[in-house]
Amino acid sequence: MKTMLIDLEKCVGCYACQIGCKDEHCTNEWMPYARQQPETGQFWMRVDEFERGARPHVKVTYLPVPCQHCENPACVAACADGALSKREDGLVLLDPARCTGCGDCVGACPYGAVYFNDGLGIAQKCTGCAHLIDGDHPISVPRCFDNCVHDAIRYGEESELDLEGAERLHPEYGTGPQIWYKNLPKKFIAGTVYDPVEKEIIEGALCTVRGEAGEFSVVTDDMGDFWLRGLPDAEWTLTIEADGKVKELAVDTTEKDVGLGDVPLA
Amino acid sequence: MSDAVDRSVVRGIASGGTGGEPVVMDSKDGKIVRIRPLTWTTSYTEEELEGRLWEFESRGKTFKCPPKSSPPYYALAYKNRVYSKNRVKYPLKRVDWEPGGDPEKINAHNRGRSKFKRISWDEAIQIIHDEIQRMYDTYGPSGILAIGEDGHKESKVVHYAGGNHMRLLRNLGGFVREVRTPDSVEGFYWGAKHVLGPGLLAGLGMFDPSDNIVKDVSDNTDVIVLQAGDWETVQNYAGQWWSTAIRFWLDLGIKFIVIDPFCSYTAVCHDDVKWVPLNPNTDTAFDYALMYVWITEGLYDKDFIATHTVGFDEVKAYIMGDEDGVPKTPAWASEICGVPEWTIKAVARKWGKSRTSIGHFCGAHIRGPYSHEPGRTEVYKFAMQGVGKPGVHQIHLFSFETAKGAVPQWSGGPSEYVMGHADTFYPNELSVPRTMVHHAIEKGEVSWYGSPQIMLASAEEQFEQRFYPNKDVEGAGEFHFIWSEKASNQGSWNGGFFLQDAYRNPKIETFISNHQWLENDSVFADLILPISCGPEEADVVGASMTCSVPVFAIQEPATDPVGEPKSDYEIAVEVAKTFGIEECLTQGLTIEDERRYAYDTSCMPGDITYEEWKEKGYYIPPFVPNWQDIPAGMYNFYNDPENYPLQTPSGKLELFSQALADHFPDDKERQPIAKWIQGGPEEEGWSHDETLLGEKAKTYPLSLNSSPGRWRVHCQNDDVVWLREIATCKVKGPDGYLYEPCWLAAEDASARGIEDGDIVKVFNDQGTILCGAVISERVLPRTVKIDKGARVDPIAPHIDRGGSTNLISPPGPISKNCWGFAVTGYLVEVAKLDDAEMEQWKKDYPDAFERAYDPASGSHYDGWVEGAE
Repeated sequence: MKTMLIDLEKCVGCYACQIGCKDEHCTNEWMPYARQQPETGQFWMRVDEFERGARPHVKVTYLPVPCQHCENPACVAACADGALSKREDGLVLLDPARCTGCGDCVGACPYGAVYFNDGLGIAQKCTGCAHLIDGDHPISVPRCFDNCVHDAIRYGEESELDLEGAERLHPEYGTGPQIWYKNLPKKFIAGTVYDPVEKEIIEGALCTVRGEAGEFSVVTDDMGDFWLRGLPDAEWTLTIEADGKVKELAVDTTEKDVGLGDVPLA
Repeated sequence: MSDAVDRSVVRGIASGGTGGEPVVMDSKDGKIVRIRPLTWTTSYTEEELEGRLWEFESRGKTFKCPPKSSPPYYALAYKNRVYSKNRVKYPLKRVDWEPGGDPEKINAHNRGRSKFKRISWDEAIQIIHDEIQRMYDTYGPSGILAIGEDGHKESKVVHYAGGNHMRLLRNLGGFVREVRTPDSVEGFYWGAKHVLGPGLLAGLGMFDPSDNIVKDVSDNTDVIVLQAGDWETVQNYAGQWWSTAIRFWLDLGIKFIVIDPFCSYTAVCHDDVKWVPLNPNTDTAFDYALMYVWITEGLYDKDFIATHTVGFDEVKAYIMGDEDGVPKTPAWASEICGVPEWTIKAVARKWGKSRTSIGHFCGAHIRGPYSHEPGRTEVYKFAMQGVGKPGVHQIHLFSFETAKGAVPQWSGGPSEYVMGHADTFYPNELSVPRTMVHHAIEKGEVSWYGSPQIMLASAEEQFEQRFYPNKDVEGAGEFHFIWSEKASNQGSWNGGFFLQDAYRNPKIETFISNHQWLENDSVFADLILPISCGPEEADVVGASMTCSVPVFAIQEPATDPVGEPKSDYEIAVEVAKTFGIEECLTQGLTIEDERRYAYDTSCMPGDITYEEWKEKGYYIPPFVPNWQDIPAGMYNFYNDPENYPLQTPSGKLELFSQALADHFPDDKERQPIAKWIQGGPEEEGWSHDETLLGEKAKTYPLSLNSSPGRWRVHCQNDDVVWLREIATCKVKGPDGYLYEPCWLAAEDASARGIEDGDIVKVFNDQGTILCGAVISERVLPRTVKIDKGARVDPIAPHIDRGGSTNLISPPGPISKNCWGFAVTGYLVEVAKLDDAEMEQWKKDYPDAFERAYDPASGSHYDGWVEGAE
């Protein structure tokens, strides 16, 4: 079965995947797979972005979210008209001819991947570019994949993708999502440790967070920076130690990433 | 070919006009179906491409040319641009303007307000003929100003814009040339050129050559510093292939440091990039603090300084405070640039102990007030760290070429504008710098120091005084007719509101604008000519500059035309016919003859036939087999300065410029060595007082950082629906209008009662633009960030809704003797727009608010054209 692997570490936030989907579907009709997507407002391949941390430790995560072509699709379960179905190759398709426009599938999808087209009076969603895969077109792969020049989206037989460390997006939704991800965002705590008397950064300071979720350590680099990455959502005690000086801070990553800015160690 | 499409065209689509990484445009029945990257093996086998797609080993890893093109993201959305609601479909004439120069019928004050009506091409061509003839009869050749040697910035070759009208007028009797200033690299042009000589393109003041820099950085560089420009963003004037190099370098363990007022798109998308935020346009102070650390801790190449430079003692004396009693310590710099002194010291040591290259991508301080100072300190840093040493390079917008091509990678063969008919970058007897056009109109005469062109421009030409009208040309007077092949001067260049005022001056009897879209300067014109988009034309547009490999391509139109457009070249030919000089432009050649000529004069004959090239659609030339042996960057100068001298008077890096000392002994703004210039009040002889430290900051307390836009190139693509709906592209105001984002720090927003998503006024003495507030950690307190180049949407004189920053950028020069522009790092205030004020504007200027507007694409054609459907 073919699927996609989306590696956020390689994504630079160019949105070419989102654009490619629109280029394929907004001004073209691909019946029986899909009618035209409206010019604006629907995102069958949607890039979500989140600003994280605090100045000067700021990052943005770009998260491409197509239909997850779930094992147990909530949209299919919600559709009383048989318009939604899962194909043998794993693609979840919405038959525009059979859709009666009740809209139940739109609210049912926990990924927000089904949209309602007011003009056409039907629901619409990612087709996995099934028309390209099935038909006689110049390319036979999904457009979001073809448009990604950063290798952040890979597409192929699941058995041939490098899935080491890969995970699913929100498996807790229980729908059995079939798209693979790498480097989905976990929380970070970052700061720059400096000596307020000498007015110098401190390299090699040991920065440790401890809490019920475990213990993680890193040392500051030659910019005085530490980045504790990959943390679970939790409350922590952060200890910064260098040259016999110790500082303790309470830090909370349950809601968001933490940028501590310049941290004096006196 | 499948049945689903009937044509697949390969071409570069780059709004930088550079060719750009190519795309494939699939079309059917005269409509574009899709635009997608080109896989190199589409028309060729891997064997056929051997020796054409580079690959090399570095530090145990293989770096290989990507298997397909990396087009700019907007090129992949270009259907929105070709079929934009804002395309100019037919020749348009302003409803209250008549040609002929009758003051009663010009209604100059209504430019930018009045609507247009459709006329025929025959009528339009006749008007142009008659107005040219009238100008020559009444005022002589100096009566006509031709604007736009950089064109519309669509990638074209035969149809390349930006001087077709100049070529016509040159053949007819003459004109005044509007001379572009080096917008991307002003600080190098006016500053660094006096240190290292003309450099890149014989005039831009950046290091040249740049062969094999990609490989040498891979092999030898420890640190890459980005101090001006957002690499992930600015590369998109041509493509995205640099992202592949950045990823490879990060994977090799090269440390990236971004020193920028904005946490750039390069800084936010890669975990391993360090952001050092600093106040806009304070890089000179930061740089001197680095150099202070290098001197006091011995972290610089003393031998290189001794053998490759002159004037280091003067610079050192300034740094150590021997000259003015102020040592340029990290503590001193910290007060100016806002970077903690421990971070300055850490960066200095990291840089000084490593093999460090600078990635320079055309933003920030290199375009601000006094940009010649950081332009020079960048070269000083290279002087102290031994430029050309393995791993020590300036990686800039021209150092993209990986494997040295058997033919020049850019401006060579049918790859970009080399074939064009336009008089691009030619000198002309009568000229005026682009930065002075509005001064020229309003004052009637101006003078400046500088070259009559931006390339092939020596440092010495900056000591020559020039005049408008040219005093050395008998009979030269003011111009009264403007003909533009570039409609974005008010958005791309500085002092835009004053240019609008000048366009409304009744001295200007006729204003013709050639453009594809009804935007910016075009709405101030009297006659608008619809220009064809590249994809509507048969041409030979490949890809060259800033591409992973050069591509020569040949194409038929990918789409039927929208309306009745013509190319700038075709228009010039039509006008030439009316004067009986058609052959001066065409030389009797058809477009097909020219495409064939492009082939005949390229490296393709002997490799593939013309017919094969047409069938395959593109061709990738080979690179020289020994390309890896070519010395990297400035290595020859580094290794052997006697035999590879610079083109400076001494052949060395002139940290102290005797020429500046001799020619401008009283210039306190650009002295013989670079200095931290804060500026001050005009009455004390300063050109600027735009820092957060001066008097003006008490009135306008925020420093505006306005760099090239993430979702535009210069002023282009602001109507692209699929870009406008991206989170950081526009802010939907409470009134449904999509405003240009104004990024603010939370503390500045709350102090002004501004919430995320509010409509805000951004203003200074130049005027007011409206934006949408974005509260973010990506900007420093006391600074705001607005991308330059939003589409102008005039409400009234000096009030604009579109959020184009250059309307409120300083209208004067970089400094007294340097008539470049200052378009970032200047002062503004920001305030929440209250409903009452908006309502008052709606009452006072109802036309501006009644014009058709579509949030998806913005203001458009129907709003400006009477009877438009």
